[in-house]
Amino acid sequence: MNIPPGWSWLGQFLLYVAAGLLVIWLLVTGYRALARFLGGRPGLVRPLAIAGGVLAVVGALLPWVTFPLNDGPYPDLATLQFFDAPFAVTGFRLFTLITGVAAIALSFVPRIPVRRVLRALGLGLAGVALVNTIFPLIDGGGFGAITAADGAFAFGGIVTLVASLVLFFVSKAGDLEPLPRWNTKVPRLVAYAALLVSFLVLLFAVARLLNSGSDSGGGSTTYSGPIFLSLLVFFAGLFGALHAIGFAGWLSAVSDDHKLFSVLVLLLAALALPFTEAGTDYWMTIAANIGVYAATAIGLNIVVGLAGLLDLGYVAFLGIGAFVAANLSGAAAAEFHIHLPFVVAALVSATVAGVFGAIVGSPTLRVRGDYLAIVTLAFGEIFKKAAQNNIGGLTGGANAIPGVPPISWFGASFDESFTIGGVQLPSGVLYYVLIIVLVSVVMLVFANLKNSRIGRAWIAIREDEDAARAMGIKTGQAKILAFLIGATLAGLAGSVFAHKTSTVAYDSFQFPESVTLLAAVILGGMGTIPGAVIGASLLLILPEKLRDFSDYRLLLFGLALVLIMRFRPQGIVPDRHRRAELAGEAEGGVPIEELNVPDSPQGATR
Amino acid sequence: MLTRIVRTKAEKGHHVRNHTVKAAVLVAGALLLAACSTNKTESGSGGNNQSCDQSKGTLVIGVIAPQSGGLSALGLGIKNSAMLAVDQANEKCAVPGYKLSVQTEDDQATAQVGAQAATRLSSNANVVGVVGTLNSSVAQSVQPILKAKNIVQVSPANTNPSLTRGTDYGTNPKREYANYFRVCATDDLQGPFAAKYLVGKAGKKNIAVITDGKTYGEGLAGEFKKEAVKEGAAIAAVAKVGEKDTDFSGVINSIRGSNPDAVYYGGEYPQAGPLSKQMKDAGLNVPVMGGDGIYDPKFIELGGKEGDLATSVGAPTDTLDTAKAFVSAYKAKAYKDDFSAYGAFSYDATNAIIGSLAKTLSGGTAWSDGKRADLITNVQSYSAQGATGEVKFDQYGDSTNKLLTVYKVSGGKWAADETGTFGG
Amino acid sequence: MATLLQQLTSGLVLGALIALIALGYTMVYGIIQLINFAHGEVFMVSVFGALATYKWFIPQSWQGTWQIALPCMLVGAVLVAVVLAVLMERFAYRPLRNAPRLAPLITALGVSVMLKEFVRNFFPGATAAVSVPRAFVDKAITFAVPGGTVVIQSTGILLVVVSIIGAVLLQTYITRSRMGRAMRATAQDPDTARLMGVDPNRTIVLTFVIGGALAGLAAVLYGIHINTVDTEAGFLNGIFAFTAAVLGGVGSIKGAVIGGFTIGVIKTMAGQYFPGGTEYDLVWIFVLLIVVLVFRPQGLFGEPERVRA
Repeated sequence: MNIPPGWSWLGQFLLYVAAGLLVIWLLVTGYRALARFLGGRPGLVRPLAIAGGVLAVVGALLPWVTFPLNDGPYPDLATLQFFDAPFAVTGFRLFTLITGVAAIALSFVPRIPVRRVLRALGLGLAGVALVNTIFPLIDGGGFGAITAADGAFAFGGIVTLVASLVLFFVSKAGDLEPLPRWNTKVPRLVAYAALLVSFLVLLFAVARLLNSGSDSGGGSTTYSGPIFLSLLVFFAGLFGALHAIGFAGWLSAVSDDHKLFSVLVLLLAALALPFTEAGTDYWMTIAANIGVYAATAIGLNIVVGLAGLLDLGYVAFLGIGAFVAANLSGAAAAEFHIHLPFVVAALVSATVAGVFGAIVGSPTLRVRGDYLAIVTLAFGEIFKKAAQNNIGGLTGGANAIPGVPPISWFGASFDESFTIGGVQLPSGVLYYVLIIVLVSVVMLVFANLKNSRIGRAWIAIREDEDAARAMGIKTGQAKILAFLIGATLAGLAGSVFAHKTSTVAYDSFQFPESVTLLAAVILGGMGTIPGAVIGASLLLILPEKLRDFSDYRLLLFGLALVLIMRFRPQGIVPDRHRRAELAGEAEGGVPIEELNVPDSPQGATR
Repeated sequence: MLTRIVRTKAEKGHHVRNHTVKAAVLVAGALLLAACSTNKTESGSGGNNQSCDQSKGTLVIGVIAPQSGGLSALGLGIKNSAMLAVDQANEKCAVPGYKLSVQTEDDQATAQVGAQAATRLSSNANVVGVVGTLNSSVAQSVQPILKAKNIVQVSPANTNPSLTRGTDYGTNPKREYANYFRVCATDDLQGPFAAKYLVGKAGKKNIAVITDGKTYGEGLAGEFKKEAVKEGAAIAAVAKVGEKDTDFSGVINSIRGSNPDAVYYGGEYPQAGPLSKQMKDAGLNVPVMGGDGIYDPKFIELGGKEGDLATSVGAPTDTLDTAKAFVSAYKAKAYKDDFSAYGAFSYDATNAIIGSLAKTLSGGTAWSDGKRADLITNVQSYSAQGATGEVKFDQYGDSTNKLLTVYKVSGGKWAADETGTFGG
Repeated sequence: MATLLQQLTSGLVLGALIALIALGYTMVYGIIQLINFAHGEVFMVSVFGALATYKWFIPQSWQGTWQIALPCMLVGAVLVAVVLAVLMERFAYRPLRNAPRLAPLITALGVSVMLKEFVRNFFPGATAAVSVPRAFVDKAITFAVPGGTVVIQSTGILLVVVSIIGAVLLQTYITRSRMGRAMRATAQDPDTARLMGVDPNRTIVLTFVIGGALAGLAAVLYGIHINTVDTEAGFLNGIFAFTAAVLGGVGSIKGAVIGGFTIGVIKTMAGQYFPGGTEYDLVWIFVLLIVVLVFRPQGLFGEPERVRA
């Protein structure tokens, strides 16, 4: 009798698991031993920094890949020797070179927190090295691609990896310095200049990042994923270094002091994006979609982030707004053959969505917590079914409502390109401007609500509904109002969606989209103003840039949700109140366990 | 054994570093042993034939189809088949002076992402044409974007008639997108053809119609119903299964009361197979008929029973040498995924673009934006034998291949039963 | 009459499946107040586990004998489900036990997306639906009733019987055994339970193990009854099961079973008799859920909700 193949697979699998555990154990033990060894030797900082820097420079100048891969040669001439032309390095090798030289130079600069700075740079470099070894490793079919094969040697990646580790371990030699605090009381002019320059740099960094590895010249897009990732981790390393020397903290304090100016500059920077290298049709389309999602996510942020009511069917409101706008757009397939001006249609969409929001929110009077999540999920599914079955002839059913005309004001159709002052702007730029205005308005609404009486009522409900009611808050009204306002904002976004996408189909508004919206809010930071925008941007840009991994898009998405909840539940931009609740930190940043508060019943299980 | 020793030493806390060094040496040794492995091939980049002149650069054929999520099986088949066609063209030096490549964009089966994908492709000057989309609703958002840049689009899978002939396709056909073509048959061809066969030839007069609520199934079933009534059959019952349902007993029971002598299913094989099986289990042993969405060996594997019927475009595959050639070439490439329902159509769509491109650039002219109009004209007049039969387009951009075949499950396999054209 | 009885029968079979999955939801929720959204996906993965066992772990000569194949599939499916459930508890939920309530719920969403995509990417052929062999007596039993006949599959009977026996055994275990008492104690007050010598972590893991085992059981029965599976199988069945658990009152074994049967029957009945027909059968289930939650938030058999901090 033959032994079925599954058993040998299972054996292999278990072997791999055992090997993986062994490697992890080795890494952890090695890390601990090294850290212990370095802990008492602060004198090693400079020698280690120089050694790491030199290694990085050597790594940058060595070849990284042994042969031109089958999908085309790896970027930045990775297969060639560069000792003969050290100034001709580009891309990730340039990042490696810069990091190496910077490490050597910084080790001689007095009065900066060298350990912190080099830790950030080392981690960034480790990212660069990992991206550019793992990718050729997999694409090249084995370790031969990044070590030695057929008489060719390529140890650049491995040397750089070692260099990054050395730089990282500088931070373990002796104690970490305290984070420097700069004087934030600076003259207005200095503050303005600093903010202006910073936002400009940010704008160009974003534009460069968006266009990295792109194919504008028709070049290969095969390696756009690793090129983008290298740049991303390099920027992250630089930002970490800026944070380590205290600049990032200073800038954020200064921008807090000059709020109005910062907001204005940020708005201008956003409006200037079409003039940079990211000003292409493609990025304008994506930016418009990001805007639609961001505006919807801000609405959701009111419901989830402020009022603490989890909604798992939120995309339905976006859908309602879109279907209403499509029906009022004069599209041939729509039920009503009337064409209202966009502004009117948008207001009608928002109102209708708001009414539905109040209806969906009404069970909140009786249903709480997780049960509410299920009720909203049920409403989402009911909406989908209704839209799919063409309820009342309003949704087009399975055929959708195609041919929604682009918005047009004063004879200018929003999907065409036009020229300002001799600069040809990409098509769709008007949508981009519209969406920037929309998102700004929505953010303004959100910011005002958050700091208003009703906003405080929502936060009180989120923290403790019974206590809130005892304090005299009309919790029922407040909760329904949260749903109503959130849904109104989503409906507004839906009206833009209808025109921009030019077709409105039920399958754009299903459960996965609701999860994406929720993820945007969580990723960015619950209850914060820029959070939803940042979250939506990341969730739409990353899949675009990482198309190499499109098979694994959702897998990584799920993993990210789990990891964020585990390690940074407060999101990228933490809310001050929220941080207290989610990360177990008091508002001042002290872990809650260290505060002398009586244990809540749930808080004592550990 | 090894792990146990390691752990006890670690617990004692002695010689940890020493042991780490040893283990590190071991790992490094293992790495060195693995060092020789690569997948280096001498021919260099994929499908590159050294004897071809590729001096003028690379031209790109875009593919827009779902690559992730629930419809990825169909989308991956479309992508792989397009890649197969391009590889073959590169080997044959089909377009003089240029190398062809495929750029696949995931539309996530939603309209707004499809629009992003189309914009991305349309801003690349070297994209000559687009193969896609899978979903008709995605096509609706892709069409205007590609039209603005005059980029030819050939869909392997859109069956909604309004995409080519406008909203009033039945009464007042009007072509809106001159750059849009498709190689598959529209619903208003396949549905009626099936009705004629089922009512006229098979003599079924009391037919139940089940759909899955999606664009493809709804459209197909709608056209089927119209023609079946015209032919004199009664529609015994109409029911809809949920997109994600797997237990169809409720639906089956509800149509059982009307004693249908056949069931027409508008939808795809993943649900049609189990539906057919569950019908038989429930004592409703009548044939299930469907469109090309169920004409797949997997339909039978998933429960399709003897006597079930499906229509598909073109002459029977086993009589077509081109179809057999496609299947064996696809198998030879050893793609990870099956070519699935629309692979052959995607192959034909890609070849239509490649063939027209070769004609446009014949005589050694270089590619430029100005050539786009010529390319569209050449696709319009394109004519060749493809894997699905004759590939040729009418004045609306629909396939002129109105030849349809009815297949029947017999002996655990699809066998051609009747071939003909639908004449209205 | 025949149609009504037939729909009722089909509804009960569907309900039995939902009930088995619902038991897992209800137990986990009862003990740590967590909607384990990923439970539906655990069920889905273990259908694939059963299929893999059948295809690759049983010698071909045994595949035809259900007396061997069925127990093997059961072992495979339960093993997969239990390992998954325990890993999930240990690495995703336990670190978040003191986090605010939203955090584990969102983690559960993430885990469910991950599991679905993992199978889609790594199980051969799972990008589309995969057929599952009918590894049990393939026989339909027909009863004559006034006005026609009622047909039920042998696998359908098996489903109903197993789910009822399973629920009774579980109820007995929880009310009679030492571990069952520990579970109920932990559910009521983890701190006091610990003072009484109950290890809450062990108890919670055991809950996940039992829930997983039931999902594995459901998975095998689903596989041999429906004969096909795809990666979406977990979503809808999971939602149904959760709805059933809520309907019956979360934390109540009896409630979950009755909730499951109710949902199964409503789905088939709504398709036949309610306005909108089969197009809207799903909608009626959700309408019922909303109505029950609004007017009786603790469900049919649940205890009134404690006010939680």
